[in-house]
Amino acid sequence: MTLFQRIRKILLGITMILAAILFMMVSDDDKYDVVIAVLALGLAVQGIKDIVFYFTMAKHMVGGKIILYQGVIVLDFALFTGSLANVPKVYILLYLVGIHAFSGVVETLRAMEARRTVEGPWKMKLVHGIVNFALALMCIIYIRHTNTAITIYCLGLIYSGVIHIISAFRRTAFILID
Amino acid sequence: MQMDFHYYATYCAAYIAGYSHEESLDIAYSAQFVDHCSRTVLAGVKGPSEAATTQLQLEMMDARTDPVGLQDITRIWASFHFLPRDLYAEKKDCSRRYLQKYRLICGPNSDLVAKTVKLAMDKPLQSVGIAMHVLADTWAHSYFAGTPSLVINNTNYVFYELFPEDDGYTEKQITFRHKTSTPDDLENSIYTNSLYQRSENTIMNLGHGRAGHLPDYSFARYRYVPAWGGYEDIVKDNPSDYMKAFTQMIYAMKYIRGSEASFETGVYDNAAIEPYLDRIKEILEKRQLIACDDWKAFGEELSGQSIPDYSIDTYFTEYTESSKKDKDDTFLGKFFRGAIAHKGMVIEEIYRSKNMLAGYSRKSLKKRFMK
Repeated sequence: MTLFQRIRKILLGITMILAAILFMMVSDDDKYDVVIAVLALGLAVQGIKDIVFYFTMAKHMVGGKIILYQGVIVLDFALFTGSLANVPKVYILLYLVGIHAFSGVVETLRAMEARRTVEGPWKMKLVHGIVNFALALMCIIYIRHTNTAITIYCLGLIYSGVIHIISAFRRTAFILID
Repeated sequence: MQMDFHYYATYCAAYIAGYSHEESLDIAYSAQFVDHCSRTVLAGVKGPSEAATTQLQLEMMDARTDPVGLQDITRIWASFHFLPRDLYAEKKDCSRRYLQKYRLICGPNSDLVAKTVKLAMDKPLQSVGIAMHVLADTWAHSYFAGTPSLVINNTNYVFYELFPEDDGYTEKQITFRHKTSTPDDLENSIYTNSLYQRSENTIMNLGHGRAGHLPDYSFARYRYVPAWGGYEDIVKDNPSDYMKAFTQMIYAMKYIRGSEASFETGVYDNAAIEPYLDRIKEILEKRQLIACDDWKAFGEELSGQSIPDYSIDTYFTEYTESSKKDKDDTFLGKFFRGAIAHKGMVIEEIYRSKNMLAGYSRKSLKKRFMK
């Protein structure tokens, strides 16, 4: 990991924690719209970036199609997210929780895959994935009590932020080429 | 390749090619110093930073991966460790950006290898050592590029170590881990490699990092699927490749010494090693993390002289204590000039192929402004 990547990870972690705290403290209903707009924009940029990268570079790479699939799915999520302007807040919360659960499942699957072919940093990934999924599940259980669900969701966000910051300080194996 | 080949085996090849013990040591030191001449070392001896032939782990961690930063990384790694096989290679239906990276894939017997060897002709022994390092690495580092690239240098789970049995091979899946603190476990085929990073230009995707040190072990035979290869397996037979590297070095050094009329790619001096063939094969195929002791013993038997252990700072004092005008005539001064000349040649060739990944050489910049 380069210094720049570490700084980016730390900043992302801090942003997630601040967003979670803001989400818990601000009572205004507009906060949902802001969250949705930011999420939709972020996902759209990522999705388009992945698709362009596939057609310009990864098309010829072994396993490169997965980058295209990821791009299309993320862009799809972005468009869907952007269309959630006039729906009851509980559905928005449900959707955010769904994304959290989905990322938890993806993280768990990636950890399982890493466990098969490499030894090492799969444990933290696995715990991160399971905790993410468990928190999302708890949000769904308490979905009728919106405030409790929001608190649980924010705790999940803070947890993810902390994990990002911790992983920025981890030593990464770098093969010195002789 | 590691010190066992770059220092001790290069000494052996130089001696077989006809150099004296002392000359062979100078060539061997220079070949090995290519793996140590970083900007940090250069700053320590107050040498020219453009003579850097490698980057330390810490330097890499701080390296920028914007276009200018990438050019700096590519200049060093493509010039000295991953000499491109074909700067004009073609691939259908790909973008220019992809093609530029694809053309930097390293391989032996390229026009650039011939130019590297010819550049060392009539130059000090330090330049010969640099050329031998570059030539040897084209065999070990084949199929990887000296520029950070996910789409070129990535590998996946299809990675098997091959063990000769009867007429064929038995296969064992390789397990990779990301712990540089633990040595590779040859017994169980567990090797350390770089982390998978999805970013195209991260330094984790530089060279053979994703394949760990497997290309650096002379005993290793393995089958894998390179990211650029269209799902076709590659079988890498290091004992055979290292043997070719050794015999090609002898041939190249005989040419530089003037005892061969020309240097052609694809020619190996197999006759010169005929008396030692079994011994060399035994060293190359022995499963061990580093073969310094075996190569050293072989070299000492060859010359009947003692080969001192490699020490990075052997010539530092001579350089630092020289006056400014005498620096170029010191051992390190000659090495730096040789390194700059070689780097300039490679950058110029990459630039001439209309590939901007290594930027401009001083020569091409001058040409550009003189037009």
